[in-house]
Amino acid sequence: MSQSSEEGKKFSSVFREKIPVVGSLEVLMPYIIIGLAAVAIIVSVTITPSFLTADNIRAILRNASIVGIVAVAMTPVTLSGNFVSLAISQSAMLAMVSYVALLGAGWHQAPAILIVIVGLIIVGVIQGFIVAAGLNPIITTLAAGAIIFGVVSEMTGGWIVLAGENFVAWGSSNVVGIPIQVLIFLVFTVLVTLLMSRTVIGRETMLVGANRATAQIGGISFTRVTVIAFVIFSVGLAIAGVLNGAAFGQATAVSFPALTIDVIAALLVGGTAIQGGQGSPLRSAGGALLISVISNMMVLNDFSSGGRLAVQGGVVVVVVVLLDQLRRRQVMRL
Amino acid sequence: MSDKNNTNKSSQIGGATPGPRLTVRRLSKRYGNVQALDEVDFELYPGEVMALLGENGAGKSTLVKILSGLVQPDSGAIEIGGRPAVLFPSTRSQAAGVAVVHQEYSSVPKLTVAENLVLGQKGVSSLWLPRRLNTRARKLLSTVGLEYLNPRTLVEQLSVAEMQLLEIARLLVRDAQILIFDEPTAALADREIERVLAVIKQLSDEGRSVIYVTHRLPEVFRVADRVTVFRNGRSLPTKPTSELDVDAVITMMLGRDLGTMFPARVAHHDELLLDVDGLLATGLSEPVSLSLHCGEIVGLTGQLGSGASAVVQSLAGMLPLQSGRVLLGNDNLLLGSRAAALKRGIAYCTADRKKDGIFSGRPIRENLSSPWVRSVAPNGFISRRLEIERSSEIGSRFAIDVKRLSATVSTLSGGNQQKVAVGKWLGAQPRVMLLEEPTRGVDIGARAEIYQRLRDLCASGVGIIVASSDTSEILGLSDTIATFYRGRMTSIKSHEDWTEDALVREVMHQEAAA
Repeated sequence: MSQSSEEGKKFSSVFREKIPVVGSLEVLMPYIIIGLAAVAIIVSVTITPSFLTADNIRAILRNASIVGIVAVAMTPVTLSGNFVSLAISQSAMLAMVSYVALLGAGWHQAPAILIVIVGLIIVGVIQGFIVAAGLNPIITTLAAGAIIFGVVSEMTGGWIVLAGENFVAWGSSNVVGIPIQVLIFLVFTVLVTLLMSRTVIGRETMLVGANRATAQIGGISFTRVTVIAFVIFSVGLAIAGVLNGAAFGQATAVSFPALTIDVIAALLVGGTAIQGGQGSPLRSAGGALLISVISNMMVLNDFSSGGRLAVQGGVVVVVVVLLDQLRRRQVMRL
Repeated sequence: MSDKNNTNKSSQIGGATPGPRLTVRRLSKRYGNVQALDEVDFELYPGEVMALLGENGAGKSTLVKILSGLVQPDSGAIEIGGRPAVLFPSTRSQAAGVAVVHQEYSSVPKLTVAENLVLGQKGVSSLWLPRRLNTRARKLLSTVGLEYLNPRTLVEQLSVAEMQLLEIARLLVRDAQILIFDEPTAALADREIERVLAVIKQLSDEGRSVIYVTHRLPEVFRVADRVTVFRNGRSLPTKPTSELDVDAVITMMLGRDLGTMFPARVAHHDELLLDVDGLLATGLSEPVSLSLHCGEIVGLTGQLGSGASAVVQSLAGMLPLQSGRVLLGNDNLLLGSRAAALKRGIAYCTADRKKDGIFSGRPIRENLSSPWVRSVAPNGFISRRLEIERSSEIGSRFAIDVKRLSATVSTLSGGNQQKVAVGKWLGAQPRVMLLEEPTRGVDIGARAEIYQRLRDLCASGVGIIVASSDTSEILGLSDTIATFYRGRMTSIKSHEDWTEDALVREVMHQEAAA
């Protein structure tokens, strides 16, 4: 037997393969995003002197925060191969309206926030189970969005919901000069990124997204991964809703009108693959920042809101095509 | 089936050939640090089938890519019909009459056979009138032995062999004179291979030239007129098949003897590990009973659909159990759930690594650790150190470059990918290892490696069940061999009681009887 394993070794040295050295796209991706952001900032600074003021930077970060939190939260859903949710605006709106309504009904902050988070998780888990049972996530979330919007419109009767005298506008406060949303965005991004990169559930999410069949044979449960991804997503939505509710003290059924498209844009610009298995929450945060910088620059240069939306769409297309080309080139070189 | 083709065989091959149809001279291609092709030479004559052999990474795929116009060579010359030709990009290659049948099929599953036959074809009206398409399709189908097929059939309903033949028909429309077959039979069972080979013979009889890339040596002797072997990016002089035998070809490919392909058998323990009694599941027509001892390799062989893989799949928990009882040690094994089987220590390496064996976009390390990552993650946090340590250990056992464990697994050759697909289970400390087609499309070096590791696994008391349609693999590797035919087990004997002939006959012979 020892002789035959000797033979095996001989074989291995003969057939040890030379693998071409290829720069891994996974490694390059964050630098691409950082590079793009740097270009955007340099351009902004040159053409808009008011860009680099403390107030403006705070505005950029605050704008990036809500979109960023939700984009970070949705990344596990996308990574697990469940595409994106089309109920983003409606779910965040549900969180915002219920938070404001609870305050208006006399609830204290902590229980109100807790109830919003739990409520959103329940809505998310239901969607997660439906998707895990095999229904297309696009259809499921689209329907969920319609249902949520319909129910909330009915209940509010189209009126503005007010937080009443109970309201403290902590949502627009600063901590050591940094807006509270920005701090929460930062902490949330770090937490979700660690969860995805360092824990078993994060690894399982990646693997399920990369190849569901292989994952199943390896004992990884698609249902578990999907439901947990939806839980993380729901927590992010709840935070976004609460933060905006705490900033404005009022909400309607049409709050967060552009959130769905903004969040998907941030996620795609960040370079998370829409089919799953590649990407990270950190990148989605980067994507949100990049879009916020570009959009801020346009505001300072008096672009109309329509013009801004068109440019934002253009940026998404350009970046996604660029990343796709890089991926292809990488495949070709092998 | 091939009788018809044999009658007019070799009328042109033996005759005076006017000169090579394709000449390749000193062709070289370099990728980064790797010289994929190093001054390769060969000639291809009208009406001949030339087999192109070599290990994975020997340069076959690069050559195919160059000839099909996907890749530009660094240096060297290509002549077609005696005139210098440029084959890059692929439109030029097609115009020059080169056509490639790939391992992966390019037909559109949701379209009909007739519709697929006009896809991408010039000179066909873009008005797809069903009747016109179908008439046209019938003519084409008959050239590849598919005349019985209704052109309205959706491609997704065809068998693998039929898809392969359809693929060939699509190329024939272009009137290609140089056909390249890139492992056309890798996914086919013996009987289907026969059909494809018959069509290839027929095409060469019509005067077309064929380059036949394969890993399966028996096919070479059935269809090829001449053989060119690639080794480490270089070409060896082309030889007529009649001057060669299997051993000679293997020696050419390896540059050494193949005496050690299969590891020595080790006496296995008498301790019963897995007792299968009256197992009946989808794909089996009669109950199957067999037993597996600690340290034993049981080989199941048969053609596609014989039931050999159904046994493995139901033991893996992939198929619901209809009846029967399986004991693992002293415990009754609950079947029908992959997760439950895995928990009891049943590892399962599937037949199709791309589909469900690897995570091709993820790093090699994550692939290797995927079945056991929990065991290096106390409190749910993965210990990088432990994961790297243990995956490096597996990697080095399988001769995978451990410095590259963070590269994606898709950067590896097919053989090394398969090593990953098998090797990942080692870390899960299985009690039973199930494998289907463990070396399909894998070069000989990687095969030897995989066989040796499986034997090593036996030495630690693991029992292994291998289902494979490759009879020589089953014979060389297994301690006990069971043959399957049409959903039932036809015989089960110790390896000493089998010869290669007897085994092949047992697997094929039944066909006449049924």
